[in-house]
Amino acid sequence: MKIKGFDHGSRGLGIRDLQLILPSVVCSTHVAKKIADQAKAITFAHNTGCGIIGNDVGGISDFFADMANHPNINSVVIVGLGCETIQGNELADKLLTKNPSTRYLVIQESGGMGSTLKSGVDAANKLRSDYPTKSIEIDKLLVGLDNPNNSGSVQIISALKSIPGIKVMEETGANSSENFTNLMRQGVALIISLPAEDQPTNGYPLIPVINIASNSALHQAILMDFDLNFDATANEIQNLIESVANGSPTKAESLHIGEVVAPRMVRSV
Amino acid sequence: MSNFPDLRLTGYQRKDGRWGFRNQILLMPLHSALVALARKVCDDLNQDSIVTISHDWNGEIDKDWTRIERALTGFPANPNIYTTIFLGLGNSHEEKLISKSLEIGIDNYEYLKLSELGSAHKLLIEASALASKYFDLAKNVSRTPAPWSAIHLGLECGGSDALSGITANPALGVASDELVRLGAVSVLGETTEILGAEHLLAARAISPEVGKAIIEMVARYERSVNYEGIDMRGAQPSRGNIEGGLTTLEEKSLGAAKKAGSAAFTGALDYAIAAKQPGLYMMDTPGHDIEQLSGFAAAGINICVFTSGRGTPTGNAVVPTIKVSTNTPMFKSIPDLIDLNAGSIADGTELLSDVGVRIFKEIIDVANGKLTKAEIGRHQEFALSRMYKTEIV
Repeated sequence: MKIKGFDHGSRGLGIRDLQLILPSVVCSTHVAKKIADQAKAITFAHNTGCGIIGNDVGGISDFFADMANHPNINSVVIVGLGCETIQGNELADKLLTKNPSTRYLVIQESGGMGSTLKSGVDAANKLRSDYPTKSIEIDKLLVGLDNPNNSGSVQIISALKSIPGIKVMEETGANSSENFTNLMRQGVALIISLPAEDQPTNGYPLIPVINIASNSALHQAILMDFDLNFDATANEIQNLIESVANGSPTKAESLHIGEVVAPRMVRSV
Repeated sequence: MSNFPDLRLTGYQRKDGRWGFRNQILLMPLHSALVALARKVCDDLNQDSIVTISHDWNGEIDKDWTRIERALTGFPANPNIYTTIFLGLGNSHEEKLISKSLEIGIDNYEYLKLSELGSAHKLLIEASALASKYFDLAKNVSRTPAPWSAIHLGLECGGSDALSGITANPALGVASDELVRLGAVSVLGETTEILGAEHLLAARAISPEVGKAIIEMVARYERSVNYEGIDMRGAQPSRGNIEGGLTTLEEKSLGAAKKAGSAAFTGALDYAIAAKQPGLYMMDTPGHDIEQLSGFAAAGINICVFTSGRGTPTGNAVVPTIKVSTNTPMFKSIPDLIDLNAGSIADGTELLSDVGVRIFKEIIDVANGKLTKAEIGRHQEFALSRMYKTEIV
């Protein structure tokens, strides 16, 4: 397998060269989205970062760090509010020890919405010029397999596992979004999703997701949203993985679909 | 309180008799995979009143279902909505959710099914066409005079500081008391943030049963966190509160409770459950600002006042949310996020009662159509409130 990838230093080798605008609390997800839209970066909405207690304080912070340290990420701008439980500056310090391409800003100290937006876009642009794209050839790929309830097609899975040059990490939980988060934490560069028969295609902001249809009525009704059908051959799967790894967007990437589920142990307080 | 101005209230009366102060077009995704599509439609149409929410629910019916169902059915039935456009896959779960929502009350609705349309692209086109159609129709609907009972006010505080219990919260209490006297509904939430002050609120209950329900609400919350071996008292006041000068849990709770003024408590409400009669209520919500506001919206609250010491940008897709600062420096430092300043009380330049009147007047102005800072900035945060853990390693 020959892939034109990206060298992201201590984050590893990725197949996308993404900039992440990371909101450290739900309150900053909206301005993070505005910064990401203007800076052509990615972000994600979540409902955590504050009102959390016990192990969740460290757990959510570690989860954010795993997002920021993912091999598909080039640089990160953390946007905090200021008074939240997960303190953005501490998260930034934690990330900076591994990855210098990290910046941090805080709404309560940035003069409000308009000026936070401006500082955020400036920080993102500066990071991009300070940490330009570093291309590198990759011959091995860590691929995630989302196989909810172990219900995926046996033919597709064995075809996938027979492809040379890839290592497959598998998650078999019932909920694909939770499987995606678990796969992200294992650093997979790309995900093959075999959604449950009653589930639509889905995506993940940091990781290209290739959706393969089953022969269920729902999947066949929305076949246009899938990248491959249930009868795909090993060759077809391999070709698509190579082309996606080399930069072709998946259907889910083109639609920018995929909400993130953050790990949580205890209810909010 | 004769210094309250004589103001007229106007709104939109819904078919079921409830009143709204906005005429929103809500794109309601019934699956997390449809959230980004709904967001794209709103971004492209670019109107204050065409709104959506982000959530991570993907059809799973788990232990949290009763709670999640209440939020997902109540939110799209908020009376500030003119039309709800449900975006779904097309299945029986969704049909059940929609019919529950219709029972609560929706004036106009549409249901777009991905499986019938055949692709996300088609769904985008159809949703956009419908949103535009209802946006044009909504423009022709006029406001009519509304009674005071039309108001369902939500009381919220977040990022509290040492002045919260002295300035903004008691001033909001003055406004809440006047609205309750006039016949409105006013709802206090944040069960975790009245911990230690619940006996004072219970003493104001209209009956021993209501008082007992308020005491039990706090105890139940504490138990539900304690089962994980965690002491909730250790998390309050939060780090942000401490940096804002709050010293103890009691100080925070006493200050938070001031938002509810001095009126009697008519009832205790479970999360996302609507008040049926005028009066002051206590709703069981987390202190988490967005879970609280989402629960308020799902309970038909149609206007909210949110006090803050540290400052917050957040709002809601369907409930106009007036932000009040507890101190003048914060009000000046983030001018595009905060609507009113109550810090003048601490500065010695304004009386508490006068700030209360100012908040009262702002509530009426916003109900009558004045946009809040959060609406202008299009803040539409949303959170499903869960009790149980996620299945993530």
